Amino acid sequence: MSIQQIFNGLQWGSFYALIALGYSMVYSILMLFNFAHGDVFMVGAYIGLFVATAVLGIAASGLLPLPPAVTFVLVLVLTMFLTSFVGMAVERVAYRPLRDAPRASAAITGLMVGIFLETGNLALLGASRRTFPPLIETVTYTLGPITVTNIKILTIVLALLLMLALNLFIQKTKTGMAMRAMSVDYAAVPLMGVPMDRVIVLTFALGSALAGAAGVLFSMTYPVLEPYMGLLIGWKAFVAAILGGRGSILGAVLGGFILGFIEILVAALFVSTLRDLIAYSIVLLILTFRPYGLFGEEYSARLRI
Amino acid sequence: MKGRWARFRRWFQGIPVASWLLGGLAAATVERLVGLVVAYTLGLSGIPSFFGLSLILANPAQIPAVLVYLLVMYALPVYLVARATAAWTARLVTRMSTRTYVFVHVVLLFLVVYFWGELDSYRLLVLRLLAISIILTTSLNLVNGWMGEFSVAVAGFMSVGAYVSSIVMVWGFVDDDVFGPAVFPPTLASLAFPFALGLGGMAAAITALAVAIPSFRTRGDYLAIITLAYVFIVKSAVENMEFIGGPRGFMNQPNVAGFPVVFIWTALALWVIYNYTSSTLGKATSAVRDNESAAEAMTVDTRKVKVVAFLTHAFWSGVAGGLYAHVIGYINPSSFGIVKSAEVLAMLYLGGLSSITGSVLGAVLFQMLSEILRPLQLAKWLVIPVVLIVVMIFRPRGLLGFREMRFPFLQPRPTEEVGYAPASD
Amino acid sequence: MKRLWWILGMVLLASLLLVGCQPGPRAAYGGVIKIGHVAPLTGDIPKVGEEGKFALEMWLEDLEKAGGLEVGGVTYRIEVIHEDNESKAESSAAAATKLIAEDKVLAIIGPYASKQAIPTGEVADRNKTPMISPWSTNPRTTKGRPFVFRAAFLDDFQGFVLAKFMQEEFGAQKIAILYDVASDYPKGLAEFVKQSAEELGMEVVAFESFTTKDRDFSAQLTKIINSDAEILFTPQYYDEVPLIVKQAHELGWTKPIVGSDSWGSPELMNLCGDDCVGSFFSTHWAVAGAKGAAKEFIDRFQSKYGYAPGDVAALAWDSAHLLQKAIQDCGKLTGNLEEDRQCIRDALANISEYEGITGKMRFNAEGDPVKCAIIVRINENYDFEFYKQVCP
Repeated sequence: MSIQQIFNGLQWGSFYALIALGYSMVYSILMLFNFAHGDVFMVGAYIGLFVATAVLGIAASGLLPLPPAVTFVLVLVLTMFLTSFVGMAVERVAYRPLRDAPRASAAITGLMVGIFLETGNLALLGASRRTFPPLIETVTYTLGPITVTNIKILTIVLALLLMLALNLFIQKTKTGMAMRAMSVDYAAVPLMGVPMDRVIVLTFALGSALAGAAGVLFSMTYPVLEPYMGLLIGWKAFVAAILGGRGSILGAVLGGFILGFIEILVAALFVSTLRDLIAYSIVLLILTFRPYGLFGEEYSARLRI
Repeated sequence: MKGRWARFRRWFQGIPVASWLLGGLAAATVERLVGLVVAYTLGLSGIPSFFGLSLILANPAQIPAVLVYLLVMYALPVYLVARATAAWTARLVTRMSTRTYVFVHVVLLFLVVYFWGELDSYRLLVLRLLAISIILTTSLNLVNGWMGEFSVAVAGFMSVGAYVSSIVMVWGFVDDDVFGPAVFPPTLASLAFPFALGLGGMAAAITALAVAIPSFRTRGDYLAIITLAYVFIVKSAVENMEFIGGPRGFMNQPNVAGFPVVFIWTALALWVIYNYTSSTLGKATSAVRDNESAAEAMTVDTRKVKVVAFLTHAFWSGVAGGLYAHVIGYINPSSFGIVKSAEVLAMLYLGGLSSITGSVLGAVLFQMLSEILRPLQLAKWLVIPVVLIVVMIFRPRGLLGFREMRFPFLQPRPTEEVGYAPASD
Repeated sequence: MKRLWWILGMVLLASLLLVGCQPGPRAAYGGVIKIGHVAPLTGDIPKVGEEGKFALEMWLEDLEKAGGLEVGGVTYRIEVIHEDNESKAESSAAAATKLIAEDKVLAIIGPYASKQAIPTGEVADRNKTPMISPWSTNPRTTKGRPFVFRAAFLDDFQGFVLAKFMQEEFGAQKIAILYDVASDYPKGLAEFVKQSAEELGMEVVAFESFTTKDRDFSAQLTKIINSDAEILFTPQYYDEVPLIVKQAHELGWTKPIVGSDSWGSPELMNLCGDDCVGSFFSTHWAVAGAKGAAKEFIDRFQSKYGYAPGDVAALAWDSAHLLQKAIQDCGKLTGNLEEDRQCIRDALANISEYEGITGKMRFNAEGDPVKCAIIVRINENYDFEFYKQVCP
């Protein structure tokens, strides 16, 4: 086991963490599995691709010569902004009409929206894989036995920054307070004069913006985009979100990092063939001893059937 | 409007189900005798497999031909025979005990479906896959519906059942390069098949125990995540088992899962699950869903109830997996991924929770939709999600959530005043 | 009213029965030969389905331009029915059964991936309908199934070619292999290369795997780099190769990388760029410096669909032409499905030599092609340059 593997685990975990946050936020407020989230991440990556192409095109045409750092920030912010609308649209179409329905029904509509997004992408853009243009030149640093690229560091740092920002938002602002309140008592909050719809929409917007950011960072590291890229990572981030514990930002983040670490370390220490078998057995064990997740508090999830 | 509906309904009134089934039998016979000729006469390339719906989608110009075919082949014979035999069957049916009544109807249904399906290998294959989906959906309904938890482990259970029963059958009855020559004479394969399926189901239930023991200490969405991990674990485990082919898959299953076999197993599964849900144990399961503490106060052993429901689900999913393996004749771990679970979940919630007829309806609709819409190719997976979303928006509890489908006006059960019951809602 | 309906119904039925007694004479299939195409248009590998579909569309275009296909003095129109198998085994089997039973196709092209081709081959063989899988490499697809053929060479042959190449070209003694354990093709090929390498006296010092759809290989690559392997072999698909190669370079790998025919999509270089330059892989055809029919095919495909065809398209194209040849060799279509399918099957098996765009081939007794493999090098212009040819 080398320090190299720790870096690998940190980077892989950042993606899980960023996506898991979106699951966790929706889950803590609506008690809902947002199964479309993995595909929102996929759409985020594609939006990132188009924004990046456009921004790079403008920069290259000489109209507006931008340094790479500015380009990157611009692409990231624009993508997050645009992806948040995808999340809001999903909420409007798939979840709002079913708010009073059994929540498992909403999980199914989410699943269907996900399939629709995948196939829609396939139908619109064709089956060819897309490649993400390099926004920042990759620089490789070698420190003894460790090789780290600047993108790797950037991913880890940015992911942590975004999570911190989200945490601040939830702890310090009024809307954040409303979100926390709703996760404690969903029914009482509207009675206190909190505009419930707005809070829910904002939750989806924030979660999707983070998925958009994950999409951009992911595509910079793994620059091959395809319509089904969100499928597996989405399911696994869902595991991470619950592994961390319900309604806990810290829990989702740590759940993401822990899952990332487990996957990387199992592959590094054991035969890599057995990775999923061992990694998810560990998850199963953790949940056996901490049924409410690592950081979740005991709660009674009354199914609203 | 109401009057027109009543008038329309009067056409069907008082015709017992058995007569409709006899009508179906007549239609299947007519199709068998002259179907091909009629189809050719109408300019169709052959007998339309599923009511010509995929033909229509592929080529809208065939709509009139298909409509005429449906009218002549199905609608007319079914209606005429049903009408003609109505009085006779009604008299017969009202004299039967419930047990005979059910038995006769199941046998008739089998004859109709088999006679109709056997004409065309495509029908027969889809019908068998459909029956498997029905078992899966109904058994999942036990956990997600009656028990009120959220399990996604169907694919994992299927995988275990499929592999175990395949190994037993191939080891015992097939000369295979993996397990060597057949241990028993291959002619006995059909006889041993039920045992292999049972073993597969049992194996699935045993692995389910590993999930069930820790997960039912608490309640909540814990089961969703545990079962998700379970699916990943099973897939990964099978991929690492070289002796059964790993990711390359396992094949050479003997051809023992014909339509009659699959039908019998489906009927059995439905019967068992129906009895389960109407038993004390089943009522206790629903009680646990509605209010766990109250159920406990009423001396329900909640843990036992949950584990039994979950294991029943696992057993029947395993059996369905075994049937699937022998219908397709090849299995590989990636056939039983999370996508398979999602498919069954979609069928379940489309049909509705806590409803056996709902599960059957959901499975039939979903499966038929995905066969009929084949001509759309890529767009099929745009249409199906939209259809499902719309259905869920207008019927959030699924088509038949928490109730069973009934057609009172089709049932000529004896009542006090009249020979058979008048239409009533 | 009621009596009227009765009479009407009876008259209709009676007339139908009368019609039924005199089956009308029919020209062979109304002048239309139907061919089924089962392809993964959605699911894991939609690109494969799309390329196959486009190649068949081009084939149809040619036939239409020629006014149809002449078989035994009668000109037939060819119709291809595309079916999506969603990358699922059961959907593939159902699609093939539909094509055989409902659409009454004469033959089937596809499916592509072995996990669908194996069960679908069973369906085709049981229903005695010829099937050509353009791309499946698992021996079981065709084994013991007289009606099933394929256009791609098998894993064991390619594995041997690659192992030998690595030894001869680089003098390698220690090799590392990175492959997808959950996918049929990479796993099969990885194992055959390992086996051949060990038979040739080389040592496999790292045999690392991952699971389909994984995007991060850093753990495995770090292990590979820390072993003293001299060469990295990865039989992955063209969309995974760039990720593997890039991450390997980022983690400090500087030694050669060798791949297999699954690299052979022009898209590889759009995705991979400079990182892949200098790598080698085995394939069915060399796009750079292609001549004659292959060149023409590439140019036409490029201008029609906006991207250069990969080996999938080429193999689908060859499958279609093999089928066309078999239908023509058959001489005459009787209109009896069973006879015609049998006739086409026999004609396919008897093709003595066919020169396709992926090389000369004929079928052996199992229905597998006997053809040469080519090793290409990726040159600085991002072209796949012919390097070496290895024949069985």
